[in-house]
Amino acid sequence: MKKIHLGILLSLFSFVGLTSCGETESEDSKVLLNEVLTLNKGNFQDDYGVHNAWIEVFNTSFGTVDIAGYKLAVCSGSNDTIFYVVPKGDVQTKIKPRQHALFWADGKPNRGTFHITCKLDSARTNWVGLYDNGGKLLDQVKVPVLQADHSYARLDDANEEWVVKGGNEANSYVTPSTNNMTIEKNSKQEKFAESDATGVGMAITAMSVVFSGLIILYVMFRLLGLGMQSKKSTESKSVETKAEDKSVGKSTEKEGEIYAAIAMALHEELGNVHDEESGILTIARNTSEWNAKHQLLRK
Amino acid sequence: MGEFINFLGNNLADFWTYTGFANATTGHLVMILVGLVFIYLAVAKEFEPMLLIPIGFGMLIGNIPFNTEAGLNVGIYEEGSVLNILYQGVTSGWYPPLIFLGIGAMTDFSALISNPKLLLIGAAAQFGIFGAYMIAMAIGFEPSQAGAIAIIGGADGPTAIFLSSKLAPNLMGAIAVSAYSYMALVPVIQPPIMRLLTTKKERLMRMPAPRKVSHTEKVIFPIVGLLLTCFLVPSGLPLLGMLFFGNLLKESGVTRRLAETARGPLIDTITILLGVTVGASTQASEFLTVDSILIFGLGALSFVIATTSGVLFVKLFNLILPKHKRINPLIGNAGVSAVPDSARISQTVGLEYDPTNYLLMHAMGPNVAGVIGSAVAAGILLGFLM
Repeated sequence: MKKIHLGILLSLFSFVGLTSCGETESEDSKVLLNEVLTLNKGNFQDDYGVHNAWIEVFNTSFGTVDIAGYKLAVCSGSNDTIFYVVPKGDVQTKIKPRQHALFWADGKPNRGTFHITCKLDSARTNWVGLYDNGGKLLDQVKVPVLQADHSYARLDDANEEWVVKGGNEANSYVTPSTNNMTIEKNSKQEKFAESDATGVGMAITAMSVVFSGLIILYVMFRLLGLGMQSKKSTESKSVETKAEDKSVGKSTEKEGEIYAAIAMALHEELGNVHDEESGILTIARNTSEWNAKHQLLRK
Repeated sequence: MGEFINFLGNNLADFWTYTGFANATTGHLVMILVGLVFIYLAVAKEFEPMLLIPIGFGMLIGNIPFNTEAGLNVGIYEEGSVLNILYQGVTSGWYPPLIFLGIGAMTDFSALISNPKLLLIGAAAQFGIFGAYMIAMAIGFEPSQAGAIAIIGGADGPTAIFLSSKLAPNLMGAIAVSAYSYMALVPVIQPPIMRLLTTKKERLMRMPAPRKVSHTEKVIFPIVGLLLTCFLVPSGLPLLGMLFFGNLLKESGVTRRLAETARGPLIDTITILLGVTVGASTQASEFLTVDSILIFGLGALSFVIATTSGVLFVKLFNLILPKHKRINPLIGNAGVSAVPDSARISQTVGLEYDPTNYLLMHAMGPNVAGVIGSAVAAGILLGFLM
């Protein structure tokens, strides 16, 4: 039986293992390319006060991800692909949950961890790729030729749709190191404040959910209870039938055993009861090392 | 010599500025007085002593005045101080799930399993939460604040702390103290409402003895309970997950040591830390506000609404139940999940009218259903308002 269980467990593990390998591009990557700007005239400046092209990556998960050892790859036009390995040992490579990291594509890695070896060609289509530290391609994007200070970005952080941003309309801002869709309000809060100012909607919805949850539990345990009761009654009936069958031949023998047990118990119990006590008190001497004879003798 | 005396005088004057006497304000004294009242209620009246003693003493700790500009790093709101580190369990919300683990390991759901319709009373009593939510909205609180305040009606301290730490951290001290205070005052709040809403005939109603629940049912309950409630309200997972996990440790029968740790040393340790830090978080400067007074008022109302809705629901439910299966409305108050106090009150009030009518076992059903119901309600509020 144990071997069967072990077999099932191993099969499950191997199934999970097989289904999780052999991908060329990870579909559930925690870190994604999020926004790219190829021609920076008057946009965000780096720490040296220089306008450079930049590539933004985004941690989609709710846990910190360390991108040390990850690779950024850039291929402009017919040029060869240039890789930049994110150096290890810099605490800033740890991207906090749902946060961004910005890499300057200025070809000057000596300026810091976030200045990469390659440049983006603003006159051509650029291919940008992101690999994890095991060399697996996490994300890639082809960036079209863009106007100055316009970016090619996901519509919202981690959204599948890429759009050109750079206007002054809402949701069209270039947003280095911040959310692609600027959150100016708490939509849930405002929705409740506007459409349910009295709280009646919330009360009805929430009470319905509470009742539904507990009604489902009620139904489950009502059915389970009925099942258990019917099982118990069937079992007790079968026990009674078996007992009746056996008791036909052995009833006299069993009764005798029971009487004998009762008689023994009564004898033992009553044997310890004295009608008259002797009236003699006996003080038993309690000896120990402390009152032993050799301790009390004096020389 | 004169210079030396001057030096000593300056030293003493400097020292004086660091003392509590020099920094005391009326607010500090008021809060110290409130802390002393809590300790008095716990010691002399035995109102929830396990909670009120740590909270009351925490209030004394949190309201010792000190020079906040001296950088002593002793206050609960000063990052890196010992109290602040202990307070992380409250602000990050990991004390309440651990308390729920212990509650699960000490709760017997037999009464509920044997008579599952009592679950519905636990659901009805949650109207206290949403009634208070509506009132809070009418007063002018923001939806997230109203949700955090309303959870006081769930009569569940850990749930109230968990939810308020997420929805309205600035109101958490007042909400926690209010929730625990009213839980301690359940014996004062509930009986008059129960008497008011029931007739003598209803109070004398007898309920059939609950059937014996098998070990299999007890083991299945936490597993099915977790899967059903958390699939419906995943945001309630930290509380419900730990509650049902603790219960499985208890009922499986093969993890006795783990269950004993969860319901013994673990819950005791966390209760001490939670109580003291919640008490200490009521620093006068943060706590003595108009909002706190409103929160206390709303808290009282939510308990009244919860008790009322529980009792009235039983009366309504009885209209559709066959005569031999009717429920004594005196156990309706037990839907308020102050375990086991509200169930004990059902028993006490029931015995006043018929000294042979024991309602405790029946009242434990809605009582533990209330724990599940309030955790589900907290999950809903979190899902909607976070």
